Amino acid sequence: MDYFATVLISSLSSASILLIATLGLAVVFGLMGVINLAHGEFIMMGAYSALTATQLGIPFILAIPVAVLVTMIFGALVEIIIIRRLYGRLFDTMLATWGLSLALYQGAVLIFGSVSPGIGMPQINFNVGDYTLAAYPIFMILVAVVMLAGIYVLLTRTVYGMKARAAIQVPDMARAIGIDSARTNTLTFAIGCGLAGFAGAILLPIVPATPSMGFAFVIKAFLTVVIAGPVTLAGSALAAIGVGTGASIVASFMTSVAGDLFFFILTVVLLRLYPLGVSAKWRMKL
Amino acid sequence: MFKVSNATGGYGKTIIIHDVSLNVREGEIVALLGRNGVGKSTLMKYMTAIIPAKKGKVEIAGCPAPNTTFGRARAGLGYVPQGRFVFPRMSVTENIAVAAATNGKNATMAVEEALEEFPLLRPKATALAGGLSGGQQQVLALARALAADPCILLLDEPTEGVQPSIIDEIAGTLLRINKERGISMLVAEQDLDFCLSIAERAYVMERGTIRLETDRENLRKDKALQQELLGV
Repeated sequence: MDYFATVLISSLSSASILLIATLGLAVVFGLMGVINLAHGEFIMMGAYSALTATQLGIPFILAIPVAVLVTMIFGALVEIIIIRRLYGRLFDTMLATWGLSLALYQGAVLIFGSVSPGIGMPQINFNVGDYTLAAYPIFMILVAVVMLAGIYVLLTRTVYGMKARAAIQVPDMARAIGIDSARTNTLTFAIGCGLAGFAGAILLPIVPATPSMGFAFVIKAFLTVVIAGPVTLAGSALAAIGVGTGASIVASFMTSVAGDLFFFILTVVLLRLYPLGVSAKWRMKL
Repeated sequence: MFKVSNATGGYGKTIIIHDVSLNVREGEIVALLGRNGVGKSTLMKYMTAIIPAKKGKVEIAGCPAPNTTFGRARAGLGYVPQGRFVFPRMSVTENIAVAAATNGKNATMAVEEALEEFPLLRPKATALAGGLSGGQQQVLALARALAADPCILLLDEPTEGVQPSIIDEIAGTLLRINKERGISMLVAEQDLDFCLSIAERAYVMERGTIRLETDRENLRKDKALQQELLGV
């Protein structure tokens, strides 16, 4: 019983980690429709920014906003220089962001080398019966919930959020009521990148910064958003918790390969059943 | 008040409208008549700068209009497009609120005013705009445009696909808004009765140009022109 509880809690925690890594993409790809193949590299950039900040003596908790800021600014530049010219051109966007991903990966190898020191996980543990769990990964469940709620509030309760959704849903009409769609889209893309940076930073104690860390996240993040469908936020949360928790439970009873296999098979099954994503028929905003 | 001179433009290299000049005076409702495909919608997209101008000028309230669509909207140009184009995954309230807030108005008050003005939207206030009927969407698109506080309103086929009872309501509302708030309007239409009921003056378009300018009385009398416009 205790064992099953620990498996469930740690699986939920893995699902939350997946969700944290996915939410930035949910905004950029799910909401804006930009296939950003460099999403993983934005996570990596967030991780390295936080790592560098802590190495400069900034406490980890303050290194996180630094990472968010760095990735947001970089994201805004990428939008202005590359993405803005490619809205609605799917394959061109993929090619451009793939190129960006390669450049960022190689850039990280050149600057940081292919291995780098991790930062210690806060050594706080708690017990479930006879089993001991590290608190930090469990804390990620809370982080995912807060992050999800934060994005929801930002996009539904603020003027910026309404403008952002209007500019994405019907760009011409958004402009025709006075919204500067181009600027709004730059900000939305930057926020998506900032969320990826936040993910890289907050996960740093669990997933050490390496130049190739992005690859580990990007595939599952994309699949999660694709499973989610048009109601991006709620859909991504459900997909990450459903598929992610399932895969993690399978992984803990069998092997991590079996877990991944479960993840991909379940994705295929879900996309057969819901070709437009699980949320295709939901009447919800996000 | 609102003036377009020598408007020439279209999509890509295809020119649709040639040298169109027209004006709408302060507080006036003007109809833009013509059969399908004569360039009424293209002209409206030209006016809102949704399509680029090849030639010509637009003036809003006596000043040269900005070059961007959002700049023109902020200068007081409201637009209700053909096909409504409400923001589908936003609630009715949000559709109105975003237009008001973008133009520096109090969103809560603007929403309350709009629901007051258009009672049929009230029961739908929290519903997603994409789920409304055609007529309801038309009314919402109008409410959204008004929430931005325009001085000139462009309406592109506001009666298309709308049930007759709502058409009368729209006509009544447009007249009331025109009187109470002094908003000038340019209405592109194929529904002659609708136009005769609200507009004092009309331009008739043909093959991308203005063929003639007429007023309500002459339009009422000119059966030949009516036949032609109605396409019978």
